[in-house]
Amino acid sequence: MMPNPLHASHYPDAALHQRVNIVENVRIAQATYRLRFACPELAARILPGQFLMLRLERNDPLIGRAFALYQTVLSETGEPWGIDVVYLVKGKFTRELVNCPPGQSLMVWGPLGNGFPADPIEHLVLVAGGIGQTPFLPLAAEFLGKRRYGQPARTVPPARRVSLCYGARTADLLAGVEDFQALGVELHLATDDGSRGHPGLVPDVLRPLLERPELPLRVVACGPEVMLQAVAKLTSTWGVSCQVSLETPMACGIGICFSCVTRVKDDRGDWDWKRTCVEGPVFDARRIAW
Amino acid sequence: MNQEHPAPPPPLAEVSLPVQLGRLSLPNPILVASGTFGYAREMQHLVALDRLGGILPKTVTRQPRPGNAPWRTAETAAGLLNAIGLDNDGIDAFIAHHLPYLCGLGPPVLVSIAGRNPPEFVEMAEQLDAQPGVAGLELNISCPNVTGGVDYGTSASACQQLVAAVRQRCQLPICVKLTPNVTRIADVARGACDGGADAISLINTVLGMAVDWRRRRPLLGNVVGGLSGPAIKPIALRCVYQVAQAVETPVIGIGGIATIDDVMEFLVAGATAVQIGTANYYDPTVTMRLLDALPGALREAGVSSVSELVGTLETSRG
Ligand SMILES: Cc1cc2nc3c(=O)[nH]c(=O)nc-3n(C[C@H](O)[C@H](O)[C@H](O)COP(=O)(O)OP(=O)(O)OC[C@H]3O[C@@H](n4cnc5c(N)ncnc54)[C@H](O)[C@@H]3O)c2cc1C
Ligand SMILES: Cc1cc2nc3c(=O)[nH]c(=O)nc-3n(C[C@H](O)[C@H](O)[C@H](O)COP(=O)(O)O)c2cc1C
Ligand code: FES
Repeated sequence: MMPNPLHASHYPDAALHQRVNIVENVRIAQATYRLRFACPELAARILPGQFLMLRLERNDPLIGRAFALYQTVLSETGEPWGIDVVYLVKGKFTRELVNCPPGQSLMVWGPLGNGFPADPIEHLVLVAGGIGQTPFLPLAAEFLGKRRYGQPARTVPPARRVSLCYGARTADLLAGVEDFQALGVELHLATDDGSRGHPGLVPDVLRPLLERPELPLRVVACGPEVMLQAVAKLTSTWGVSCQVSLETPMACGIGICFSCVTRVKDDRGDWDWKRTCVEGPVFDARRIAW
Repeated sequence: MNQEHPAPPPPLAEVSLPVQLGRLSLPNPILVASGTFGYAREMQHLVALDRLGGILPKTVTRQPRPGNAPWRTAETAAGLLNAIGLDNDGIDAFIAHHLPYLCGLGPPVLVSIAGRNPPEFVEMAEQLDAQPGVAGLELNISCPNVTGGVDYGTSASACQQLVAAVRQRCQLPICVKLTPNVTRIADVARGACDGGADAISLINTVLGMAVDWRRRRPLLGNVVGGLSGPAIKPIALRCVYQVAQAVETPVIGIGGIATIDDVMEFLVAGATAVQIGTANYYDPTVTMRLLDALPGALREAGVSSVSELVGTLETSRG
């Protein structure tokens, strides 16, 4: 085992800590909501795959929660002024958040983490399970040439195809499918109970794309760890490059608590605990020691 | 109403923020606690680091330590349990890669060290003594998450011997960080003072645990861990009060501090300075807000310096 490398690559050097106002908090699927808040500086800076920490100013729950950028919100003149996150009502924080009306304030810090790389690819395949689709909407928009992100805005050579393989337990939990459709993303849906799309698991709908690639492709995955492991295995079998975005529990999101660690391999194959918040959350799947 | 000629505000009384802890001088009493501020570099764009009264980087050990398996933290009511397990790269890497950056920031840097035995503490203290720019040491004899982590923090005589051994071989001012997980904390504090400590840091985390009954599993990979955050503030205040009553040595208050009222309560109870811990996680710019509010709060208390307020608690117990 190797000692920790000394410097993480993605300290929160562009991060802001602000009190923001909720503009909208609406249901978009079963137990799934889209929260919109106003924060122009943050919206201008954030990249697809980066995340934010959110907190209500109270002592229970005490600790912030991480949420992926779902989309930036633009003014009529195209200026980013707001941020959307999509959340599943699950536990302490999200059960409180669901009751927060427009106008209520919220503390937010970000943008955090590395985000998805902008390396060109002809066919980008997004693989999501559970609530793991949330970081993919801005990435799809970017690779389809519909949106640009960052300050200064980064340039991504457009992909020829963007596909989304997306699975959930049941159709009612599939959230934001229309948003991906509106961008022109090809959909490959799966549900455990067969209520929509392929009856079964996400890797089932991914496999055909890997078996019969029509264009050079790259896979990017986010979701439960079992799914990520299956996708990592599948892509490595087919020799396809794969990035995973991890949802490791975090207490600070900014690299100071050392709680969000995950086993990451170095070039020699030795592993060490790495802070997901400042070294990730996006990793090359081959580097994760599952 | 016509406000063309508003009365000028009364001139603000000058308040003096510097504090003295034994041989250690600090520009103000708001410090950041070890293990809750990384190596400061992480925070350089969120916080004006040069404003802090002192910086305590994450505890270093002689050898690199990987730390514990996840989950390393779990939230509880108004608190956070952690069992990080002193994940760090070891003192050589710390001196080579983190110390030069830390010492260039301006505020006093107090390096937190944890040895497995007195010779390891002494060896690290000597190494740090030879480094320019280190303002002092904090001996972490109170980490609940490693084997032997609290051995020197639970016995007054072991504590005294350890502090004396370090003091003998190292010129740097020494703070000794104690655990609240003892029956009589004032006894251990007396040991530290007799050994020659410049200040007593109180408290490290309170031993606790959290359980997921549905899965019949502990929430922490290490099963038990240390509780921090607002939940432990009353315990920390009690420890500060008891130790400040028992010894002359200055006390640094730590535990659940998140608001200016918390800071003022600790000063009144007997702390000369405070360290902000878990609040950095959930409110990353908290230290800046406390520094902004401190002069006003001191004026409200009717004092012109921090030291005038320290230990001014009045009890009917006499
Ligand atoms: C980078 C990143 C991006 C994320 N993006 C999104 C997003 O876009 N949308 C979204 O809905 N969620 C997202 N999450 C998850 C989110 O941060 C919260 O974890 C989630 O909302 C649940 O919070 P809660 O307070 O509602 O539930 P909690 O009360 O925190 O608990 C929910 C469940 O988490 C588990 N849990 C509790 N404590 C721990 C612990 N210490 N360690 C591990 N597990 C624990 C328990 O099984 C519990 O049932 C993201 C997480 C990360 C790290
Ligand atoms: C995640 C975490 C890691 C910590 N690591 C250290 C450490 O390395 N060394 C140390 O002396 N104290 C460590 N502490 C203890 C804090 O410095 C502090 O004493 C304690 O958390 C109480 O203060 P608080 O309630 O303000 O956090 C740690 C605390 C937390 C929550
Ligand atoms: S969440 Fe605190 S270090 Fe990553």
